[in-house]
Amino acid sequence: MMDKRFTKVMGLGVFLTVLAMPMMAFAQEGAATGATASWELGAAKALAAGFAMAVSAFSAAYAQAKIGAAGAGTLAERPEVAIWVITLQALPEVIVLLGFVSAIMINSAG
Amino acid sequence: MSAMAATKAPTSGRDYGYENARVRGMRSRLLTPQFFDDLMMSADLTRIIQALINTEYGPYIETAIIKGRTPAAMDEALRANMVATFQKIAGFLNAEASELIGTLLGRWDLFNLKSIVRGKHMHLKAEEIEDGLYAVGALTPIDLHLLVGLEDIRAVVDTLVTWGSPYAVPLRENLAAYGESGNLATLELALDRYYFGWAAARLSRRRDNTKLARHILGLQADSVNLVTVFRLLNSDIGDVDPKSFYLPGGAFVDEALFISLAAMSDVDEVIDGLKKTPYSRQMESVIARYVEESSLPVFERALEDFVMRKALDAGRGDPLGVGITIGYLWAKQNEITNLRIIIKCTSVGMPADRMRKELILV
Repeated sequence: MMDKRFTKVMGLGVFLTVLAMPMMAFAQEGAATGATASWELGAAKALAAGFAMAVSAFSAAYAQAKIGAAGAGTLAERPEVAIWVITLQALPEVIVLLGFVSAIMINSAG
Repeated sequence: MSAMAATKAPTSGRDYGYENARVRGMRSRLLTPQFFDDLMMSADLTRIIQALINTEYGPYIETAIIKGRTPAAMDEALRANMVATFQKIAGFLNAEASELIGTLLGRWDLFNLKSIVRGKHMHLKAEEIEDGLYAVGALTPIDLHLLVGLEDIRAVVDTLVTWGSPYAVPLRENLAAYGESGNLATLELALDRYYFGWAAARLSRRRDNTKLARHILGLQADSVNLVTVFRLLNSDIGDVDPKSFYLPGGAFVDEALFISLAAMSDVDEVIDGLKKTPYSRQMESVIARYVEESSLPVFERALEDFVMRKALDAGRGDPLGVGITIGYLWAKQNEITNLRIIIKCTSVGMPADRMRKELILV
């Protein structure tokens, strides 16, 4: 059974990240209109980008751990489905890539 | 001395990803209804052997038929496959599943000990007793071989006491009563009561997986209790309190309901008394057959089917829970029972139609 506490923590992390993104955007907008790029803006962007990266990396790691365990079990009994297991194992990489792209977008925003 | 109890779980905690994937892989190799249909059309045992040799039973059959292509050899092959499969599963369960499945498989220890005690009571040969044993619980094949080779019931009990087996407790307590009366039911009932009480206590945590395992155990206890109720209808037990036949740990049939059902005088009343339980519909569905055959085993079979269906469905709820393993173990046992029925029926020339009626939930 999935660890419910871990799922809750991860869910909360993702929720906070999503919540933080528009706030960052508004903050950047405010800063741009103020025409002064303060160091606080840079720090906030770096933090938000780091957070997005970290959460997505943890999510991908969690998914890969679960798929890896199940994949190992499947391969032990049905080696003929190896190609499917490898494909499924690689899928969560998309999560971390999306996090990486989000981090770049946050960091490079005006 | 124990396989399931002493095996250290290779994966810790409650992560079911690995084991459920393996069990699903194993489930994909279970025989299909179509295969059973074809098997029932087999003219003789040789055809059945040819059909099964290409399945996962193949290696076991090849080993067993060296002694001869007989139903007994096939029985031995099927038993060896079942023991190997259950032991393989025990080898990769996580800590929680190991405890839950170990507790449920305790019924096989119960079955084996009852077979040994019965065999000793009837002075059967050691080989004859051993042929009917399934070492899939905590007692290993070596333990069972040793117990079977002992002289009498007292020696069996003494050995279990030496091993510190929990089953020694009820046997030792009731050995004197058995010695006086010579009534084997005393020991068998004591073993049953002890197992269901012990297992219910072990499955008392409030986690989803434990609740599921507890439910399956409860259905089994209910099934035995209801069979007892049906048997009591046709028997004179004199001054014996029906309460003494009650097994604890039931899911729907508690002690009060059992006592009230045991006091009833006919089948209709019993079925009426079960109205508030899920067994009611199952019992009503076979009542016409009961009237036709006038045979109480009709109800026993209906209860067996009900418990089997519930156990097979156990894996349908949570894909990352212990239900997948429970469902597979019951499905495997069911498959082997059906194969044994087909082999026996084919060897006596029973027609396929009648054979199909004998099978359990194909």
